[in-house]
Amino acid sequence: MRVVATYNIKGGVGKTSAAVNLAALAAQDGLRTLLWDLDPQGAASFLFRIRPKVKGGGGKLVRGRSDVVDLLRGTDVEGLDLLPADFSYRHMDLALDATGKPTRRLRKVIAPLAEHYDLAMLDCPPSISLVSESVFDAADVLLVPLIPSTLTVRTFAQLGDFVSGEVAHRPRIVAFFSMVDGRKRLHREVVSTLPASNMDDVVASAIPAATEVELMGVERAPVVVSAPHSRAARAYRSLWDEVRPRVGV
Amino acid sequence: MAGQAWQTRQAMAPDVAIVSYALPTGVDPPALLAYLDKRFPVIAEAEASRSYTVLDTADRRLRAAGVDLDLEAGRGGTRLVLREAGGRAPLVADVRRPRRHRYLLRDLPAGQLRDRLGPIVEMRALLPLATVRVGAQLVRVLNADDKTVARVSLARPMALVGSGDARPVPLTPRVDVSGVLGYAKPLGRVTAAVRRGPKGGLVDDPVSVADEAIAANGGDPDGIRTKVRVDLRPDQRTDRAAVAVLVDLAGMVEANLPGTLADLDTEFLHDLRVAVRRSRSVLRELKGAFLPEPLATQRDALRWIQAITGPTRDLDVQLLDWDHLVSGIPADRHAALAPVRALLVRHRAAAFRALRRELRGPAYRQAWDGYRSFLAGDLGPARERPDAKQPIVDVAGRRIRKVYSRMLAMGADIDAASPATDLHELRKRGKELRYLLELFGGLWPRAVVKPMVRSLKELQDMLGVHQDREVQATYLRGLAGELASSTGGPAALLALGVLVDRLDAEQHEARDAFAARFAAFAAADQQALVAKVFS
Repeated sequence: MRVVATYNIKGGVGKTSAAVNLAALAAQDGLRTLLWDLDPQGAASFLFRIRPKVKGGGGKLVRGRSDVVDLLRGTDVEGLDLLPADFSYRHMDLALDATGKPTRRLRKVIAPLAEHYDLAMLDCPPSISLVSESVFDAADVLLVPLIPSTLTVRTFAQLGDFVSGEVAHRPRIVAFFSMVDGRKRLHREVVSTLPASNMDDVVASAIPAATEVELMGVERAPVVVSAPHSRAARAYRSLWDEVRPRVGV
Repeated sequence: MAGQAWQTRQAMAPDVAIVSYALPTGVDPPALLAYLDKRFPVIAEAEASRSYTVLDTADRRLRAAGVDLDLEAGRGGTRLVLREAGGRAPLVADVRRPRRHRYLLRDLPAGQLRDRLGPIVEMRALLPLATVRVGAQLVRVLNADDKTVARVSLARPMALVGSGDARPVPLTPRVDVSGVLGYAKPLGRVTAAVRRGPKGGLVDDPVSVADEAIAANGGDPDGIRTKVRVDLRPDQRTDRAAVAVLVDLAGMVEANLPGTLADLDTEFLHDLRVAVRRSRSVLRELKGAFLPEPLATQRDALRWIQAITGPTRDLDVQLLDWDHLVSGIPADRHAALAPVRALLVRHRAAAFRALRRELRGPAYRQAWDGYRSFLAGDLGPARERPDAKQPIVDVAGRRIRKVYSRMLAMGADIDAASPATDLHELRKRGKELRYLLELFGGLWPRAVVKPMVRSLKELQDMLGVHQDREVQATYLRGLAGELASSTGGPAALLALGVLVDRLDAEQHEARDAFAARFAAFAAADQQALVAKVFS
């Protein structure tokens, strides 16, 4: 099982949208796929119409006291299962801190699922914390959505430095532009000039700022399922086609 | 093909499974859909159609292992899809160059699917056994959040029969109900409703689509058997019991003949030879059930068939064992052995051509027709056939005891100085005993026959390796002259020497194991049991 985490220190950049759509595409491609909604807001769980509730909460889960298999839920996309969010995940830092080797913990939680899935997608909450360190340790690939802005380069460099310096198991970093508005000159400029310093990869596919993506909350389904021929869905397909070989699945 | 959530779930916790039902006569999929629609919030998706070819070995090894293998041709190309009854997600492999008649393991792309098939199919060919077209409608059952909590697939399968303009033959419509991970309760409700079904309920656990399609195509869903299936009674007359077994074995010879002639895989010829060998054993061991003269003719006929099929089989064994043998010698010699293998392949091709000529020729037809007539005809006056009217349990029991005693005496005489031929003779006798036990063992308690077969098999396996290595080493030594004059000959000769040493070493290892294997076979309690049970 290969592990991909959608991550950005900032919120509202399209992490969850990328996670649910790429996970759905992976499942449509025949990969046995798991999506773990790590964000206590539970947006990914909501999109799949699954209650954001984990029996025993996040604390029990990271301490290894819950049987992770019992917590899984099948989504409407065949081949894609979800480990739902739980509001208690907001205290996951504390729960991790109370365990031995906290940064190894999330890897341990999903380890029993390795033989049943080809791909695990972790949808992470924003911030740099013990949770993100544990995610970095568990992930083979960090998939980073970037909104084209002047601060993007700085945020990105921070992430690259952090992963290079602080994380023992260094995941491959793959970035893509998200919520791109082609009418804005700034967006166009940043997309064409972002230096690839500290980055393993910036892929060419960009996700547009599109109404269909925003409508996912109404449709409660990934856009690649509800509007598979839309511009946004095509962009996610193109992104997945670029990301998949980098993940090695 | 998407992996199925229920399958992951089933593999981890088998409480959510796929359940299949056949629709009873008079209930079609639309009627069942209407029935479901009245009871649950459902969404019915548009019917989708797919065609595929059912692949399996001639002896249905995949079916026995709970595996379905389909070859599907679509816009994106041709692919193999492997589904398991055990609940794992399907494995898929793209096929670059689709084949018409067979797939050997080496024809499949490397990957999980081939790895899974390897230990099941071994050297057997995957053959197209039937072509199916299925129109299926997926019905999703929803909960209050409009979330899918169970899936019902309504399928109308058809077998496509005949080549060219294939004729569609409708098969039993069926329903597959599958759960969604984490939603066991709704699945239970849906399954209960489907099971009750319209018009008095559905049929549980129907015959598989593949089996129905194979039968519709005129094939036998059980495939070619290697085990004799004859109901014998202990008090049955020996001649009738013998003929019943021989007729069954003759059917196996005939069933394996087309595959042998088409050279689909090595096991058609192997199984054909085993059936002939078993038939010869029956004629030999139960000779008192037949008149001497027709018996001698038929034994000669079968011996001849055994002889003409021998060279090809010997070379098949050489090539089947090749990777194993080569793996045991230093890697830097492997390349030098390429001319040896090439020579074996050429010899095998020549042997096979000769075999095919014989099997298609008048001599074979005459021998086989004569043998069939012998089995179907009058066996002659019973008074001239001393065992004819004896109960089979007595005659076969007597023979088992006798052959066992003979093996004890032969084995006891074998020591480190005995020639290889002594072990070979013992092995031949062991085959007689094994066939007697396999063909007639059902007349005695399983608890007695099974351990005896086990200890005999262990002895025979050892003797088999001993003999195979003897034959292989002798054959390879005989290639020296031919090799010397070929390109890369000198290097190949040196490597051949190493290979023959390896064969000799394996033969010695087998021989070293003889004393222990024979001791188990000849153990005092075993002897006492044989004397008591088969008296």
